[in-house]
Amino acid sequence: MEERIKIEYDALVIGAGIAGGEAALNLANTGYKVLLVEKDHSLGGKMILLSKVFPTLDCAACITTPKVSEIARHKNITIFTESEVTHVSKRGQNNFTAEITKKPRYVHVADCTACQLCEKACPVNVTDEYQYGLIGRKAAFIPFSIANPKAAVIDIENCTLCGACERVCPTHCIDFTMETELYELKMKTVILATGFRLFDPLEIPRYGYGQYKNVITSMQMEREIAPTRPYNTILRPGDGKVPDKIAYVLCTGSRDNTVGNPICSQICCMYSIKQAQLLMGALPMADVTIYYINIRSFGKGFEEFYQQAKGMGVNFIKGKIGKITEKENGNLILRYEDISSGVVSEAEHDMVVLSVGVQSNPAVSNIFDAGSLKLDFHRFVAQKDLMGSPSKTSIDGVFVAGTASGPMDIPDSILSAGSASSEAISYLSQPQQQ
Amino acid sequence: MATKINPKFKDELKKYGAVNMSACYNCGTCTAVCSLSSTEESFPREMIRLSALGIENEIKSSLKPWECYYCGECTNSCPQTANPGELMMSLRRWLTSKYDWTGLSSLLYRSFPATIAALILVLAGTLFFACSRDFNLEEMLHYGHRFEIIAISTVFLVIFVPNLLRMWYFTIVKPKVRTPLKRYFSTSGELFVHMFTQKRYKDCEENTHFRWFEHMILVFAYLSLLFTTVFLNWFATYNLFFIILGYVESLLIFAITFDFVGSRIKKSRTLNKFSQPSDWLFVTWLLLMGITAFLVRLFIDLNLTESVRWVYLIHLIVLAQWALIIVPFGKWTHFLYRSFAMYFSQLKTQSKEPVSESAQ
Repeated sequence: MEERIKIEYDALVIGAGIAGGEAALNLANTGYKVLLVEKDHSLGGKMILLSKVFPTLDCAACITTPKVSEIARHKNITIFTESEVTHVSKRGQNNFTAEITKKPRYVHVADCTACQLCEKACPVNVTDEYQYGLIGRKAAFIPFSIANPKAAVIDIENCTLCGACERVCPTHCIDFTMETELYELKMKTVILATGFRLFDPLEIPRYGYGQYKNVITSMQMEREIAPTRPYNTILRPGDGKVPDKIAYVLCTGSRDNTVGNPICSQICCMYSIKQAQLLMGALPMADVTIYYINIRSFGKGFEEFYQQAKGMGVNFIKGKIGKITEKENGNLILRYEDISSGVVSEAEHDMVVLSVGVQSNPAVSNIFDAGSLKLDFHRFVAQKDLMGSPSKTSIDGVFVAGTASGPMDIPDSILSAGSASSEAISYLSQPQQQ
Repeated sequence: MATKINPKFKDELKKYGAVNMSACYNCGTCTAVCSLSSTEESFPREMIRLSALGIENEIKSSLKPWECYYCGECTNSCPQTANPGELMMSLRRWLTSKYDWTGLSSLLYRSFPATIAALILVLAGTLFFACSRDFNLEEMLHYGHRFEIIAISTVFLVIFVPNLLRMWYFTIVKPKVRTPLKRYFSTSGELFVHMFTQKRYKDCEENTHFRWFEHMILVFAYLSLLFTTVFLNWFATYNLFFIILGYVESLLIFAITFDFVGSRIKKSRTLNKFSQPSDWLFVTWLLLMGITAFLVRLFIDLNLTESVRWVYLIHLIVLAQWALIIVPFGKWTHFLYRSFAMYFSQLKTQSKEPVSESAQ
């Protein structure tokens, strides 16, 4: 609390997902000093955890990891992980002050070799948030195999302080005396890349998520088909059976007023189609059915991608799932109205994937002086001039990149990051006013 | 024959209480969450579509609005808050006015001032009658009782029989449902089962059947009070059993309608969130009937001769308004139309099956 380290940067980028990372890299490559703040233990955001990307079916990790390591090694970028920006105040043009809280990792990252001996020694088992609850992890753990920085973390909430990890660590990099550090730093511009939250399907009890074990979210399925997947094959969580009749429930938490989110999430149709294609490849005998209201394949190459899925034999049924019930064998009965015939139907599937939508991350507005950062109706960062300069926010010198401003896919997030970084550069190069 | 569409139908339906119907984007959630919807009879989305397009002929021939008991699941789950439950309710009001040959239902449903005017007219008529009899209790009781019998039979013969025939024509004859006559008899049990038990309403809630039970008790209490006053002449009888029976019935009516009015005020249930004047009128008048009937008999038993006269006058006014407005042209008719709809629907389903072997 007492010790405040004062350093000056050109730009502060909040959030080190794909948009924040891209913006930081653009600024750093142009010669500006960037401070990249990430609340999580690794860079890469949600994209680094994905399987493949639509509509090209490129490997998500193969795009993200080189980018992330370039960011990590860049001389113009300073990275703060497990850190949160608690307050930003604007003192004038090109003059911002940010208060940052850096939580202790209890591991000296520079010394850690990621040998995983601490993981083996740790007696505590908890669910693994990076595998979205599909498997467990230890309280001393490496977040995930392609994490950056790839170093151990002590999950102090669940740690029993038994000291087993400390004893086995060959480099003695585990340090339980680490404390929360507070920083007050100066910078000339700020980029918000705080991303989005995934919709929590517990809000729709009639889909039985959390109650029926074989109802999973699309992010869990994403982990099951990713190269760094937990089971090394596709299994349904209830009993470990390889599923052969998989259903996708589109618009789970999107375009739905009952959960307060009436807008389209823009990504669910396409990632579900992508997952369906990947599942057809991984489980050639499986039936995959996508239940939809409308398929929104609006982007470049999207319609072809949709048609390709149809051609591969993915079933598309128009009709939103009304409710799901579980059978004794763990299979699920989906009730829906088949819109093409206008008849209520029931279908049995052995695994159900809820295509959860995008929700805003409104916490970002709290870090600015009351009300100065405007949010839009859906609590995303408002774009002051949507048509002219979409990266500008209500505060001059603060720019927004990626899904912090609304739902969008990866290509759009990267474009948005490019726009935000060029706007920031243009702001930085304005002649100083008195 | 080309399908006739009426683009203004949804505006028409608004007058019958439809709310936000145009927001529907056809996802089918309403139909899928509906516990009364089945593969044979899927609704309410189909009815929303027909209403949005204004295909009046199809709606007129459909029994589906009557198969809906307004559980409210559809409205609670609708992602567009298009309120399918209230749409079905407004379709029932619309159908009621289409079945009614006099056109008065249509007028009363759409115009609140007309309803008030009708109520005042009946009030004035009753007062005029009472005045002409010098507010003599004996005479009022006598003519009141006679009025009940005449009103019941007239409303039945002049209004209900033709209206039910029209309903039959719209839903069975016009859509060319071919059913042998004997099926009308063999299926008639269905009519009475639904009329007296409303058993379909029971499928509404998955856990408790309280609403159905409450409603069924109300129907029984109402019908038996009607019987007790008309045929057992409750206000004049000396039979202790009949007297107590009447007390119990009127109290039950009061208690249940009190709860109904309360939940409409509190809007505690989905089906009570959008009350139309016709709904208010129905529950309030039923409540007034229960309470005034109870007081009349109570005052008679307590020998409060002077007060009885005025309480009875109030009861007679309420009764006249009920029998001349609400029963023939208002919400009361759902009692008949719902049960006949279930009966006709059974006939429709059977007409799709081959005639049984005995016909050969």
